[in-house]
Amino acid sequence: MRSIQRRLSLGLISVMVVVGLVLAQTSLWLFEMGLQRYLEAGLRNDSENLLVALVRGPQGLQLDERHLSPAYQRPFSGHYFRIDFADSHWRSRSLWDQQLPQLEHPGLSNLQLGPEGQQLLVLRTDYRRLGQSISISVAQDYTPVRESFLRMQQVGLGLGLAGLLLILLLQRLTVRRALRPLEKAREQIAQLQQGQRSQLDDQVPVELEPLVAQINHLLAHTEDSLKRSRNALGNLGHALKTPLAVLLSLASSEQLDAHPQLRKVLKAQLEQVQQRLNRELNRARLSGDALPGALFDCDAELPGLLATLNMIHGEHLDLSYRCPPGLQLPRDREDVLELLGNLLDNACKWADAEVRLSVSETAQGFELSVEDDGPGIPEGRRDQVVSRGTRLDEQTDGHGLGLGIVRDIVDNWGGVLRLEESEWGGLKVAIELPKR
Amino acid sequence: MRLLLVEDHVPLADELLAGLNRQGYAVDWLADGRDAVYQGSSEPYDLIILDLGLPGLPGLEVLAQWRAGGLGTPVLILTARDSWAERIEGLKAGADDYLTKPFHPEELHLRIQALLRRSHGQVNQPTLKAAGLHLDEGRQCVIRDGADIQLTAAEFRLLRYFMLHPQQILSKSHLAEHLYDGETERDSNVLEVHVNHLRRKLGKSVIETRRGQGYLFGGQAQ
Repeated sequence: MRSIQRRLSLGLISVMVVVGLVLAQTSLWLFEMGLQRYLEAGLRNDSENLLVALVRGPQGLQLDERHLSPAYQRPFSGHYFRIDFADSHWRSRSLWDQQLPQLEHPGLSNLQLGPEGQQLLVLRTDYRRLGQSISISVAQDYTPVRESFLRMQQVGLGLGLAGLLLILLLQRLTVRRALRPLEKAREQIAQLQQGQRSQLDDQVPVELEPLVAQINHLLAHTEDSLKRSRNALGNLGHALKTPLAVLLSLASSEQLDAHPQLRKVLKAQLEQVQQRLNRELNRARLSGDALPGALFDCDAELPGLLATLNMIHGEHLDLSYRCPPGLQLPRDREDVLELLGNLLDNACKWADAEVRLSVSETAQGFELSVEDDGPGIPEGRRDQVVSRGTRLDEQTDGHGLGLGIVRDIVDNWGGVLRLEESEWGGLKVAIELPKR
Repeated sequence: MRLLLVEDHVPLADELLAGLNRQGYAVDWLADGRDAVYQGSSEPYDLIILDLGLPGLPGLEVLAQWRAGGLGTPVLILTARDSWAERIEGLKAGADDYLTKPFHPEELHLRIQALLRRSHGQVNQPTLKAAGLHLDEGRQCVIRDGADIQLTAAEFRLLRYFMLHPQQILSKSHLAEHLYDGETERDSNVLEVHVNHLRRKLGKSVIETRRGQGYLFGGQAQ
């Protein structure tokens, strides 16, 4: 999509150009019409003067030179006349060797004359004088007026262009100012994506209000339903796991001592139910990428997590973490805790004395790794541990490594999980997470 | 060892009670959170097993009230809510261990043993050791110099309590409070009989009698 700014500019330019041209041209034309009418009055005056100058002389009609304007005597002075009689015509001296053609009809017209290329405005008027039909044509050089019109047109065009540029500039400023809330909303959505905020600012213009309100509503709704479904899953888990605990306890009770076969089957089946239940409930609880505003604050959460693990596995384990201060992972808090909790729990089970968690930001995203100083996994078996079971019932609890849920979370995030050898010879689980 | 079990699911509570009794623990059982707040802080329990989903008052709230009241008894949380976020919350509220349902009964027993050892300063030991004796809590017998000595259930209970409190003077009433649940009638003569049995099996010097004060276990070992 083209930007709104561009569209507005294009639309404005085309409208301004069309309107400006039409307006300028029309006003020029109207002005010229007015001017011609004014000149016509002068020409009519000249024509009437000529009529008065026509006097009866000894050889019939003749022009009284005294009444003639001197401009008619000077060659190409810009003022000309022609008087047509029934059989002959007179020309003014100023015409010199040029012919002023007679107009077909009485009235005003434009003509081009002679080598000087003068634009003439010609008025023909018909009279009867002393019993004769006389047609008097007077002409005036129109070229200076034409030229000044041309100059006016050029100046007008220049002014129009400058005006257009100015308007465009102002329009750009106005539009940018008017679109600032949109730009702000765009920035906020970007921040939302990076997890720097959880809601959009609702101080926006009326036009944007429904949009922002709707987005905020959706965010709140997603968060709420995630919370509700997690709660429901917790309740479901509670409702199923407590009876399961009873059954497991019963399966190892003395009453079954006499039926070892029955006990074995019971225990195996119950264990399968338990594993499956845990796996599916954990998986259902993952938020994945549903919430854009999710954030995991390493500094705030990691000490609590490590303290918890230390409490569970005993103080003899040295749990440490390396993480740049202030680092925040743009993921759901519970998901990250689940991932790290399971990884660290697993590492603690195998470690002799040391477990280390490292979190770092890379160019592509984030890298998490958990290392222990336990026995590790031989290289040939690592793939087997990480690979996904082909059949559903083969997907046991991560082959006893607690990696099942870890893999689910990493897959959900579009990350990559690798098993390597740690610096102490134990297992290192490295996870690469893409940026959002 | 006297334990408090707070669990509202009756069949599970029955199972746990039976299992814990077999392990030689005296257990009081409560199902309501509000009762637990009161009884947990008024009776001298050695360990509390707390379910989180309780009627009356949520388990975490119960725990927070105990800790706010200065109760230092180790608490093991028993819950179906197994997400790490909830575990961290539980331990922040003051729990000492966290076991998720469903669990194997042996797992619970091992956790209780470990938690009791830890709370009595015996960190990082897979079994209970004191005064040259080695208590096998699984088989409920004691090992001295590589030789098994069989114990009755009552002797096992008593010896375990002594071994968790070595070199401490324990009065008869204190022992009775910690070895029997709230409903058993406490008869100090029975205690004397069991102490004598233990002396017969382990040697007279293991348990000293301090007249007017009580018993002292492992005083000679040092």
